[in-house]
Amino acid sequence: MAKMLQTTSVGSFPKPPQLVAARAKFRRGEISAQALRDAERAATREVIQLQEALGIDILVHGEMERGDMVAYFAENWEGFSQSLPVRSYGNRYYNKPIVEGAVSLGAAAGLTVKAWQEASAMTDKPVKGMLTGPYTICDWSFNTYYPDRRSLVLALAELVHEEAKALEDAGAHYIQIDEPAISTRPEELDLAIEAMGIVTRGLTARTISHICYGEFDRIYPALLDLPVQQLDLEAANGHYALVDLLARYPWPQDKELALGVVDVHSHRVETVDEVKAGIRKALAVVPPERLYIDPDCGLKTRTWEEAQEKLQVIVTATQAVREEEGLT
Amino acid sequence: MRTCTIGAYPKIPAKTGPSVRTAIQRFERGSIGPKQLFETYQAVVADTVNLAYDANLDATTDGQIRWYDLFDPLCRDIDNLQPGGLLRWFDNNFYYRHPLVTGRLQFQGGTLAQWTREAVERSLVPITVALPGPFTILALAEDRSYHQPSALLSDIVEVLALEVGSLRGTGLFEVQWDEPALAAQVSQAQADDVRSAYQDLLGAHSDMRQSVALYWGSSIPWVPVFADLPVARLSVDAVTNPEVLTVLQRELVACEIGLGLVDARDIRLEDAAHLAQIVTDYADRYGDTRVWLHPSSGLELLPPDRAADKVRLLKAVKALAEGETAHHG
Repeated sequence: MAKMLQTTSVGSFPKPPQLVAARAKFRRGEISAQALRDAERAATREVIQLQEALGIDILVHGEMERGDMVAYFAENWEGFSQSLPVRSYGNRYYNKPIVEGAVSLGAAAGLTVKAWQEASAMTDKPVKGMLTGPYTICDWSFNTYYPDRRSLVLALAELVHEEAKALEDAGAHYIQIDEPAISTRPEELDLAIEAMGIVTRGLTARTISHICYGEFDRIYPALLDLPVQQLDLEAANGHYALVDLLARYPWPQDKELALGVVDVHSHRVETVDEVKAGIRKALAVVPPERLYIDPDCGLKTRTWEEAQEKLQVIVTATQAVREEEGLT
Repeated sequence: MRTCTIGAYPKIPAKTGPSVRTAIQRFERGSIGPKQLFETYQAVVADTVNLAYDANLDATTDGQIRWYDLFDPLCRDIDNLQPGGLLRWFDNNFYYRHPLVTGRLQFQGGTLAQWTREAVERSLVPITVALPGPFTILALAEDRSYHQPSALLSDIVEVLALEVGSLRGTGLFEVQWDEPALAAQVSQAQADDVRSAYQDLLGAHSDMRQSVALYWGSSIPWVPVFADLPVARLSVDAVTNPEVLTVLQRELVACEIGLGLVDARDIRLEDAAHLAQIVTDYADRYGDTRVWLHPSSGLELLPPDRAADKVRLLKAVKALAEGETAHHG
């Protein structure tokens, strides 16, 4: 029988100090691209080892090679340039991509495969392949080329599909396509769903979409039509109001839920009891074989220690619920 | 015609210069102290208002350089209004701490008045303070205390009026109430609710200039509501909702009108001559001093170089429009 309440992570991890230093040196031209890659690989190994040590079930590689989830693809694909930084919240900024021409993979086909392969070789546990969805890449870019958002989203969907196929061909069993912008414009949900249909077309890997920090009540239950097998949603940041929303409708038989149970934008580490309460609340809506437990979002905004402590709480709380509910 | 900015501005320079981002990073690493961080904020505010002066604007915000988000000063000045978890700021890739109402709201004051005083001292351009209006607060706050929207709204209006009162004597030009929740239809408010609440809010300090800004949605349903109220200026987002221009041409409103024709969320620069023609048409209808041109919202959603270009565009449009007006005269 499959393990109940499997634990996982959403995507990014904090970059260890050695990698932060290496990235700064690379920007100043003091180290080679190969030296930076070596530092990224070493950091990935730390991320994998941490998750294994904690007993996480489905791992992520931590995105050590990425600065920002959208800019990474824009930096490597054709048709994009970069703006100066734009603030996203607090003191966090990103270089917002500018679509200036027809988008294509160019020489970067299979962009994410190598990092996934390297991470997978470091563990016997499954590692998710991580992509950003076409709707979010469009929404978080300035478009100065395509006549409308639909044209750009659908063009990007073909590129993300190629990348997903490349991950699957490399052996990835879990492919996550993040769409945090999907709740932005309810009137465009159909477009986002159509685009995800292109991305996941013909895939046999298990497909996941992570969505966060939106007003889910504006797009739910229509969101359930997103053609992926698992929705990964943040709940802790909103004090589990999300679960109240999910409870208004029957949870579909063909969908899994990954539930965010720790707030990645807070220094405070949640207590085991808080997380247990959140899991139990979700168990009233989603059966345990289809419920996964993870943080609200990527952990890159936290310190390494905070990330470790928050994941430890997730593992401890989940195991406690498994035992208390006889789910082992 | 007159020109202004209406909201937040990038906290980092386009090239070299003081940067809030860098200063906070250094402060958190311990390489600078509170005094240097404070001085950086002051320097960035100065750069922001100096740009407004160079662009010959008639009013400007201080760029909200010290603000975490639009609710920040209110959370500092009002007891039992606390910053909560991050949520997306309307349809932008920007996130705000949604306010938590944890008890009955009490005004303490102090922070915004001090920030405003500093901005006024540094600026040669009249300073506007833009705050979230009562319906945007009501729509986006998480109420853990009142459980009765009408009672919460009533107290919000009272504490906001006290906030306005605290700004008296700071030398500010105007208070601008931002109501994106009304334009974006996030608020469930009805016209009568809005009319009633704003009568109380504006009436509490009727001698102080107060305006309203509607952006990121349709202003059209709200034009007749605010047109009946003693607002100094009604600003609309004519980028998201260009149809509002027709309404404002057809139905003359008594207050000044602010035309948000410069897209605050697109890096492409508008054609100055085209904008000058539009504002000249409105100046002909409303009178020269009753028409304002401004970005469709705050400019912080743009990278700093493009934001500065948009401010300079206001100057170019104004020069063209004034030439056009002189020619007509």
